Amino acid sequence: MALSTHTTTTGFLLPSIHSAPPFFTQQPNPTTQSIASEQWIRLILSYARHRRLFTLRVEDAETAGNDWDEVLRNERINRRVLPSYLSAIIASMAAKNVAAYEPPKQNRSALLYWRLPEEWAEVLHEWAISTGQLNTILTFYDITDPPIESPLTNIPLPLLRKAITILAKTNRAQLIGVADGEGVRFFAGSK
Amino acid sequence: MHRRGVGLAAFDRQEQSKRSFAELSSALSQSQVDHLHSQLSQFRTALAHFASTHRDSIKNDPSFRHAFQQMCSSIGVDPLAGPRKGGWWAEMLGLSDWQYELGVQVVDVCVSTRERNGGLIEMSELLRLVSRLRGVMGGVITEDDVIRSIKTLQPLGAGYQVVDIGGCTMIRSVVKELDEDQTVILAVAQLNGGRIVEDQLIQQKGWTRDRARAALENMLLRDGLCWLDDQDEEFGRSYWVPSAMQWDI
Repeated sequence: MALSTHTTTTGFLLPSIHSAPPFFTQQPNPTTQSIASEQWIRLILSYARHRRLFTLRVEDAETAGNDWDEVLRNERINRRVLPSYLSAIIASMAAKNVAAYEPPKQNRSALLYWRLPEEWAEVLHEWAISTGQLNTILTFYDITDPPIESPLTNIPLPLLRKAITILAKTNRAQLIGVADGEGVRFFAGSK
Repeated sequence: MHRRGVGLAAFDRQEQSKRSFAELSSALSQSQVDHLHSQLSQFRTALAHFASTHRDSIKNDPSFRHAFQQMCSSIGVDPLAGPRKGGWWAEMLGLSDWQYELGVQVVDVCVSTRERNGGLIEMSELLRLVSRLRGVMGGVITEDDVIRSIKTLQPLGAGYQVVDIGGCTMIRSVVKELDEDQTVILAVAQLNGGRIVEDQLIQQKGWTRDRARAALENMLLRDGLCWLDDQDEEFGRSYWVPSAMQWDI
């Protein structure tokens, strides 16, 4: 039996380890498990990037029929990631700072950092410059749902807020209250 | 040439002297080149003579070999340089850059697959991956080549070893002794695409359940030589030996 890569219906190339049955079991040997979780983290982040998914929940492993089916299940070998294992993977992602529990103080759902908040901050700033929106007040809605699709379309608010906070530290953005919630103003700043 | 002649004859004379100077200069440089050639070939013979008389020491004594290589590099001769196959190093010592290159690639494959196979790789799998790395068809690199390359790596003390497990040649890249039971387990796993369960060992090898379980759990927990699968359709719990599985990447 050869373990090979597989291209999913959404055009994602699954690595060959995804067709290995034991990949779906939490490994009792810590060294082996650290290898396995490294592989899972890489897989989850690249899939999230591929489909622009921002959230991973333990529930995603409980019931089929969600965005994560292609990764958390492998029907061809009849294996799936059990919720307890997914919970452990999410925990190690949070420990490695490639994900953060969102909302905080629970461990069922996490925000995935396939781009780190610092990287999102740069993307955000570049977008503001390239669309000529410096020095004007933008609502969060203007950013998450712009008339022309941008790299920031549908970015979750907690992540957006983090990115703005990072920009604020270098005086490139300022959070402000507007009539119906929050807004932000970007400045050219110096890099 | 202090006095320049006048008239047409002077042109001829000038032409002629120019020609003879050119002839003289090319004759001079030719003799210089010849001299250099003879010096080079003399040097080469001397080096070759040295290499062949001290061949055994170079091959067997790591510190002597090191000194020889240092000497070569200090005079600007790279003993490993040369055509892909052959080269005088190869003729003199039975080694070549090709062999070393292969050794490096063997290490590359062993190290990069160690994570998933626990440092044990089957010969055919290694050959396949090395061939892929080199971009050549299977068969160009033989088992013998790999074994020889691994032998050249021995002075490095990396612990690469060729072991025979159940009639299957494997390369071990971690210093780990396999006990007899593990050897049997690896051989059985080899026949089943890497999967192994207690009952196979009980039925095929006549082991007791305790012995089978202990050996498998040891491989799993102590040595990290296999992975656990707790969703096995047949037995609920099976063990997978990554080095016995066929990986496409």
